[in-house]
Amino acid sequence: MSEEKTKQQYTDIEKEQIFDKEFLPHISSMYNFAYRLTFDEDDAKDLVQETYLKAYRFLNSFQQGTNAKAWLFRILKNSFINDFRKKSKQPSKVDYQEVEAFYNSESVDVSMTTDLRVETVQHMIGDEVSSALNALAVDFRTVIILCDLEGFTYEEMAKILDIPIGTVRSRLHRARNLLKEKLQAYAKSMGYNK
Amino acid sequence: MATNLLDWLRQSFSGQNDCEKCLELLELIMDGEASPEEEKLFHKHIDACLPCYETYNLEASIKKLLQTKLKRKQVPDDLIQKIRSKIRSTA
Ligand SMILES: [Zn+2]
Repeated sequence: MSEEKTKQQYTDIEKEQIFDKEFLPHISSMYNFAYRLTFDEDDAKDLVQETYLKAYRFLNSFQQGTNAKAWLFRILKNSFINDFRKKSKQPSKVDYQEVEAFYNSESVDVSMTTDLRVETVQHMIGDEVSSALNALAVDFRTVIILCDLEGFTYEEMAKILDIPIGTVRSRLHRARNLLKEKLQAYAKSMGYNK
Repeated sequence: MATNLLDWLRQSFSGQNDCEKCLELLELIMDGEASPEEEKLFHKHIDACLPCYETYNLEASIKKLLQTKLKRKQVPDDLIQKIRSKIRSTA
């Protein structure tokens, strides 16, 4: 089979079938992703709705049987960046600083010193994890959601985020270290360690 | 010769290189992205190296924490209906 990017010509019935069978089953993942990006139920709804409308509009460029979930996540992430981040009132200055500092030191550092203990982690509850994750800059939060919560492969993440796999890996590594710092700070404040 | 011997000593006794390699592989292993050969190498190392084994356990426990403790939000009841009617009105 050749890899030509010919557009499909789906009939209306086919369109509805693809939409129902391949797109809608991912709505829960999409909504949760949107909520973790926007922290607002109405914004999350709008973002998911916008994503599905775009997906329907561009359905002819979707190849049936390919990875619908990754395709939808890519649309959602682009909608968030292009349309949403601008509108949103939440300040993103801090985000950019943190992210930029990271891009300037792309190398994967291997040293990870922490006195966080497994037993401490195991006793944490949902709200604690949630606030640690939410405290991360959006780019770092995103890779953790895609990898750990949604189970995307590095290759899928690279496509969703439009970045090379090497960048996926280093961003994920950095994100995990930052999350660990947040969890550790939390553990310390609760007197879990020592 | 002397440098070869030194390399050999370093690799077999200090384990420094192995630990570095191991930590590099850690996330690949955890995310299911490592090759079978890398997995073998990794497990062989952590079977013998306690610090790396502990690091791995910690990383894995955090991943598990995210997967099991984070609450998922229920999709609003009217969302699918809204999407469908929006599509119908614009198609
Ligand atoms: Zn080691």
